[in-house]
Amino acid sequence: MADLLQILVVGVLLGGTYAVVSVGLNLIFGVIRVVNFAQGEFVMLGMYGTFAASVATGLDPYWAAIVVVPALFVLGALVQHLLLRHLQAEPAMQIFATFGLLLLLQNVVLAISRGTAYSVTTPVSQISVGLGPVQIGLSRLIVLIAALLVAGVLWLWLQRTMLGRAVRAVAQDRRAATLMGVDTGRVYVLTFGIGAALAGLAGCLLAPLYTLSPQIGTNFILPAFAVVVLGGLGSVGGATAGGFIVGLTESLAGYYIDPALKHAVLFAVFIAVLVIRPSGLFGQVGAEEVGLREQA
Amino acid sequence: MVSRRILACLAAALTVPIAVGAARPAFAQNTLKIGVVNPYSGPLALYGEEMTRGFDLAIDRVNAAGGVMGRQVQAIRGSATNPQEAIAAAEQLIGRDKVELLVGTYVTALSNAASEAALGSGKLFWETNALARDLTERGLPNFARSGPSGDTFAQRSVEGVMKLVAPSLGKAPAALRVWLEHEDSAFGTSIMKEQERLLRAAGVTQLGIGSHSARAVDLSDSILRAKNFAPDLWLSTAYVVDHNLLLRTAREQSFRPGAIMLTGTGDTFETLDALGKESLEGVLLVSYPRPDVGEAYAPGAAGFLAAYRAKYNRDPIAPQSMNAYVGMRILLEAIEAAKSTEYEKVIAAAALMDKPFGAYETGYGVKFDKTMQNVRALPLIAQWQDGRVRAVYPPEAAGSPMSALARK
Repeated sequence: MADLLQILVVGVLLGGTYAVVSVGLNLIFGVIRVVNFAQGEFVMLGMYGTFAASVATGLDPYWAAIVVVPALFVLGALVQHLLLRHLQAEPAMQIFATFGLLLLLQNVVLAISRGTAYSVTTPVSQISVGLGPVQIGLSRLIVLIAALLVAGVLWLWLQRTMLGRAVRAVAQDRRAATLMGVDTGRVYVLTFGIGAALAGLAGCLLAPLYTLSPQIGTNFILPAFAVVVLGGLGSVGGATAGGFIVGLTESLAGYYIDPALKHAVLFAVFIAVLVIRPSGLFGQVGAEEVGLREQA
Repeated sequence: MVSRRILACLAAALTVPIAVGAARPAFAQNTLKIGVVNPYSGPLALYGEEMTRGFDLAIDRVNAAGGVMGRQVQAIRGSATNPQEAIAAAEQLIGRDKVELLVGTYVTALSNAASEAALGSGKLFWETNALARDLTERGLPNFARSGPSGDTFAQRSVEGVMKLVAPSLGKAPAALRVWLEHEDSAFGTSIMKEQERLLRAAGVTQLGIGSHSARAVDLSDSILRAKNFAPDLWLSTAYVVDHNLLLRTAREQSFRPGAIMLTGTGDTFETLDALGKESLEGVLLVSYPRPDVGEAYAPGAAGFLAAYRAKYNRDPIAPQSMNAYVGMRILLEAIEAAKSTEYEKVIAAAALMDKPFGAYETGYGVKFDKTMQNVRALPLIAQWQDGRVRAVYPPEAAGSPMSALARK
């Protein structure tokens, strides 16, 4: 029983990691309909930015979010404005463009770092809290809490603010939103910026947990796509729930079956869900068709 | 217009890794050109670069003494991060750069592919660092390995279990309970299999075997499975990044086996930065001989260290460079003896070499078996002590006595 409790906690904590990585990806996909392959690289940039800020200032790496999150917002906005905006009518080319961006960012960081694996240190990452038989790493707990807060704040922003409503309107029907006076170009730039900023925040939160390498973003991106599709395309709550589903599936399969098979189990579940409910567990039925609909 | 912009972006991104291997100085007509296949981009670029520094130092030494067969030697780089790129790099080095033979590599999969491509062009492939046993068991006539194989890493680790860990924990080998962990590529799997075989033969109790992907985002499941059995020794083979994650997770989950032994990695500043010296104190490492090994065991190691510092203004990043340095030295001696770079003649000359242990800076000798594996190339056991890696086994190589095995 203690084993099960521990592995469930591990799964929930891992779910927090996946949720915080996926929420920006899901927002971008839900609104702009871009499958952003470079989202993992935005997380990677957040991690390296955290490392650089921490080394430069000597402050705890969590403070780096003050610099990293706005910087990633600006980068995301620029990517949308300078690159993806011109490919609005060519969805396939948008995918290639984000893949090109992935390679570009990886290789720029590689050229700068020369392949050295860096680590970000904080006293928090060495603290583990014992609750009966369960051990919880404090830095993982911080990621989980942040994931829930981010999802909550984003949901409230989308539901309760004019700008959030504009974003949802564009997500539902760009042409109708334009006719209602929404500046869709501005919404796209804002959305991609927020999506990238959320990836930057994820990078700040995850940097103390991992050894940094230019390719680390690609380790997150495959499970993150599973999270987005399982949870529901374009759904903030779905991305969070999807994160927990993926985290728990991986942990339970890794512990009770074999760590080497956990991704096989995860993607078997993924395929089964897609077959039964193509819009994801928490997505609006038909959302997968909206995702493919031309948004010119 | 827009499409052209995207294509330009993609082209720029794709060009960067290729450009890493593109720059090369001019060379004389009679220069003996050796192609070096290694990862100069990607997550293993640091180690590809570090190995090549060892090659370059050995070439500098030989050139200063007049070269090989009266010819100056030059290394030309070919970057590869996967088998397809390794084949392309080998073909490019042979076809475009006209190298006479190839050396490498940090990664078994690259060695596997590049050596077959070299055979297709009738060229020698000289391996110094890749570990998997299968490389020498394929029977490729153009292939030899001067450095240790994965089997020797496994043998040394089991030697350490019997002669260091069991006595230190006050247990007979039969009472010792071991958990084997490994990353799931050919590197980790081949070493684990040999460790399993040797431990079984020695009567050591194996509690279980854990396998994980080096790219895993979370390894709590691997640590918890091992923790459940409360092993005396946790014996792990992995790359740098996953070893760091495993050790961090072990600390987080309060997993404190009697002893930890890491095979292959875990002995560089990258692991020290990730874990801190307190968390690493006492951890044992099965690793290549290091430049700070005593001169009695490895004559010339201090000279290598001085040459490295003089050329690169720092200490070696990892011990792989000295292993590559010695591998290149043995190769150049074999070419000199063969008076040719044709693979049949170099392999035949190498097969006749017979040098005792302690002949080189790593403490290696030279004696190739029938598969062209140098059986006088052995790794060492070292230990993290107060934030530094110290050789502790074999006794003649040990710079300092082994400290306590328990971790905080």
